[in-house]
Amino acid sequence: MDHFSSIITSVRDRLYRLALRVVNDADEAEDVVQDVLVKSWKKRDEIVGLDNPPAWLMRMTKHQAIDRLRSAKVRDLREREAALPDLERQTPYQLAATNDTLGHIHRILQQLPTDQRTVLQLREVEGMDYQEIAAATGLTMPQVKVYLHRGRGRIRELLTKEKIMPS
Amino acid sequence: MKHANAKALLEKYFVGETSLPEEALLRDYFRAGDIHPDITEYKDLFAYWDDAAKIKAPARRRRLPVRWLSAAAAAVLLLFAVNLWITPNPEPELSELVITETKTVDWSKYEVTDEKEAYKVLRAALKTASTSMNSSTKGVIQEVGEAAAMIR
Repeated sequence: MDHFSSIITSVRDRLYRLALRVVNDADEAEDVVQDVLVKSWKKRDEIVGLDNPPAWLMRMTKHQAIDRLRSAKVRDLREREAALPDLERQTPYQLAATNDTLGHIHRILQQLPTDQRTVLQLREVEGMDYQEIAAATGLTMPQVKVYLHRGRGRIRELLTKEKIMPS
Repeated sequence: MKHANAKALLEKYFVGETSLPEEALLRDYFRAGDIHPDITEYKDLFAYWDDAAKIKAPARRRRLPVRWLSAAAAAVLLLFAVNLWITPNPEPELSELVITETKTVDWSKYEVTDEKEAYKVLRAALKTASTSMNSSTKGVIQEVGEAAAMIR
């Protein structure tokens, strides 16, 4: 296996998880990773020469996922405008009855701004330090710290508000 | 880790001041199961992060992206249209045409020899000439000439 392929193999799951965190849809996340891999293949000679190829790939995945999210939102908005009102949409009570706690935590996380979600993902799930997160997101170190602080605080606040956790 | 330490570390965690090793200690504390009652509900949050880390990228693509397929279909149609447009419709070569009559016709056997038959031919020619009279004088002269030659 060549150097580029070994880099991709080592980072592919992380790229997918990051894309999934941003777009919150398995098929869309898969498409994002596919696009990133195709584009990076065309630049493979440059990528293998970088100091930190995984960080470059993660940054590209983040941007690609955000683009995909924006176009999906525009698409959804158009579809909703064209569709008839959904009379069978579940009420909050019905939703609460079918939700488990982990699902509820997931929905709370998806309410956070994309940058906060991304930073939390890289820290909590991938175990990356501030410097690595900054390299993978294009944010500055102080921004990473602020987003992490705000993200965790917001999760606690939302969970407390929903009375899932003690205040 | 002692419960008091865990509680203090958790507060530090929520304000974003823990290091990676401290966060690892917290995870281990919540995974171990012996959790202080005041913070037991936070177990689900750490369990959620653990679950999220287990997600793997699918081995193969489950579906082809529709926009790629659309683009490919459009490209094929375009190529087909361009091909039709730029390729001239070739004229068939004379040698390719099917020739059904290859033998020389012996016109002598169709010559009029009978006087009665000659009269019929002349009459038919004159009738044709009279209907064509208004359209072309040249045609009439030609018809009469041909009829005269036949009965000569």
